[in-house]
Amino acid sequence: MPTDNKRIAGPEDSISYRLFKETSNESVLSKINNLKNNIRSDGRKTNEQRKIFLKCGVVSQAKGSAYFEVDNTKLIVSVYDPREIPKKTDYSLKGELFCIFKYAPFSCPNRRGHQQDAEEKQHSAIMKRALESAVCRHEFPNFQVDVYVLVLENDGSALSGAITAAGIALAQAGIPMYDTITSATLAIQGSTKLLDPTLEEEALCTIATHKSDTETGYDSHGIIVLAILSTHEQISEFYQLGNLNLDTLNESISILMNATKEIVPLVEKCLVDYVNKTFKANGQS
Amino acid sequence: MAKQFKSLHPTKFYRDYLNQDIRPDGRLVSKFRPVIINIGSIATADGSALVRIGKTTVICGIKAELCPPKPEKPNEGFLICNVELPPLCSSKFRPGPPSDLAQITTRFVADLILNSGCINLKDLCIVKEKLVWCLYADIICLDHDGCIIDACLLVLLTALKTVRLPVVQYDAAIDKKTIDASVKKCLNIYNTPVSTTYAMFEDKIITDPTTEEEEISSGLLTVVVKDKELCSIHKPGGSPLSEEKLYECINETVNHADLLITLINTAVSECNDDNKNC
Amino acid sequence: MNLCEAEKTFILHGVEENFRVDGRERSQYRPMELETNVVAHAFGSSRLRLANTDVLVAVKIETDVPSVDQPDEGKIEFFVDCSANATPDFEGRGGEELATEIANSLTSAYRSTKAFNLSKLCILKGRKCWKLYVDILLLECGGNLYDAVSLAVKAALWNTDIPRVLAVNLDGNNVEMEVSDNIHECVKLDIVPAPVMVTISKIGEQCVVDPSAAEEQCATASMVVAVSQDRFTTVLQSGSGSLHPSTLRESLKLGLEIGSKLDQALIEVLKQKPAKKQIGFLM
Repeated sequence: MPTDNKRIAGPEDSISYRLFKETSNESVLSKINNLKNNIRSDGRKTNEQRKIFLKCGVVSQAKGSAYFEVDNTKLIVSVYDPREIPKKTDYSLKGELFCIFKYAPFSCPNRRGHQQDAEEKQHSAIMKRALESAVCRHEFPNFQVDVYVLVLENDGSALSGAITAAGIALAQAGIPMYDTITSATLAIQGSTKLLDPTLEEEALCTIATHKSDTETGYDSHGIIVLAILSTHEQISEFYQLGNLNLDTLNESISILMNATKEIVPLVEKCLVDYVNKTFKANGQS
Repeated sequence: MAKQFKSLHPTKFYRDYLNQDIRPDGRLVSKFRPVIINIGSIATADGSALVRIGKTTVICGIKAELCPPKPEKPNEGFLICNVELPPLCSSKFRPGPPSDLAQITTRFVADLILNSGCINLKDLCIVKEKLVWCLYADIICLDHDGCIIDACLLVLLTALKTVRLPVVQYDAAIDKKTIDASVKKCLNIYNTPVSTTYAMFEDKIITDPTTEEEEISSGLLTVVVKDKELCSIHKPGGSPLSEEKLYECINETVNHADLLITLINTAVSECNDDNKNC
Repeated sequence: MNLCEAEKTFILHGVEENFRVDGRERSQYRPMELETNVVAHAFGSSRLRLANTDVLVAVKIETDVPSVDQPDEGKIEFFVDCSANATPDFEGRGGEELATEIANSLTSAYRSTKAFNLSKLCILKGRKCWKLYVDILLLECGGNLYDAVSLAVKAALWNTDIPRVLAVNLDGNNVEMEVSDNIHECVKLDIVPAPVMVTISKIGEQCVVDPSAAEEQCATASMVVAVSQDRFTTVLQSGSGSLHPSTLRESLKLGLEIGSKLDQALIEVLKQKPAKKQIGFLM
């Protein structure tokens, strides 16, 4: 690991105190069992999303920006003017999106580094793929639009939130788009499908468990992120992790399609509110 | 029309305004922008705060970790603070390693915290030579509209005052650490350094400049005070400044500092009322 | 390689007629050649040629300290190197994006404990574990990299020998371990459930598998499906493009079907590994 002499580095071997908290293995299993019986720790129904707060125009310096909050998941997205693609020799007919997804160092239970790690890079790539099919890229050939995401606090479903928020920020920035883009996350443990999982639920759904105490076979588990262009019914990104069979996947697609459609009115309202506000402000001056 | 004039002749545009003793955003020359402080908004951090000065927004989260101390300072903990100016906050910054401004701000804030003695690193010691706290304070700018040092300092101090650390039992013989998260302790903050920034524009001194004003100005000056005393002055080049004017700025900062400190204390005490177990 | 509109239409019509440019059907793979144990100093290796796509995989093993979150698990890391020989686009840092994308997809596909059990790689809980470095070198790109890479990785891991640990002693804070001297005394990993990836491209109205480089350019969207024993471990899209839910369902079904067949065929081939050649003195 090369030393980073542009920041102040801490001691090499510091570890989070949370690791020394007393946690028993049993509690994890009982939590998973609760999930399998459709009981969520925050009392939600399995197909219930958390309340979403959306606001655009939060960063004054940016062309477009949005803030997204569901309970404890908080993130901010900003979009800047198109600029020429750096270090590019040949001409590209289609413009590009440049996405950076970053967790703030203090946003997760364990501290994150300042530089993007593999997971953040992967999330950036997923966002890029999801957003590129929503943007009319032929309108700005040989240019790139920068999309920056910073997760201030992560309590699950951060990636899907980032995609939804980035869609709003792009729209506010006046980047030509085909459609509004919305996204949702589903976590699966056994036969339970949890919409909009919290961080704890996400962690529990990456653990493979046995079907029951007597059987040795493993149960389904996994996480799915789906992004959709709602008017055109086009899936712009589908990303799945874990271990699932075909039937579960098919069911999940239906659940996620509905969930993403529920978010569309919120996105539209957020943008309409912004337009109204700007009109009023312009009318006064 | 005003818009075109502004982009063609920014300096003249600005001078015309100042000749009428008013600034384009409607403020008087020596008027501060409103300050908003929000605390404890990040649950995953051990202490956090958000500060807005006008449109400038910074957030600070403090994460506490455990580590052995340095051999040369066996009874001192660590406070590692970094200022991040990500490309998210302004088009001036590009992705990649920290910009020069970010490095300068980081260094200035870090040195100031250590030199002002507002926090005693010995308080962070758990067991001498064995185990100390390491506080990582990460300050991230979300919206860069001038006076970044002021905002960083304000947010860091506020966040430090909200830090709650659990009690640690350490058995050196078997290297075993146990955490009691039910009891949490505050950190002792011995004083509160606060700063204000001024921009020099021709013969005038402008208080609390925005990014636009910082860019057309001929020089910047940051004055840091604590307990009504001068703590530090940061003047990175630019046009010269008369002694008289400097004194004026210091006095103004001292007066404004009271307001800022009251603001911090109000915010923090409201939080303390919420959880009395501190 | 850039195709003109006429060429694209030709490919499109071929796919529509279920008779692709190289004579294949839509769900047919190109011929494959697999060789294992090709790199002498690696713990396991393989080389896979899928028509013009050429991939070399080598597995190296080192000891490491388990991560604090998972003290009873070993580690596996994938690294993809795009050789500039493969295509001129990879010169300089050109291939980096593709390389990280392939490496990330492998990491996701191997993440589930059911697909690849890392706990077998643990030597002493919280203290010592094996770390597998899977290095993937792309020698030539002729389309369908994900499938070729995943097959080659599975074959290389199948071929991997992990040294047998005879004893582990804890001396204060140091872990001492004794490894069998006999180089033939090794442990094999259980690689049967390891995932195999299938790329499905949507060309025109149809879904095809194993697209060639030319066909990849005509695709409106591509899905990569990682299949492990009739279950999905990862599904992701490659390249930009969007698709209708019904297309997604269709391609998932096709992917599962093809993936299972491919997996079976691979395991069959790997099982009939030739008996160790006796290399006699002066032969």
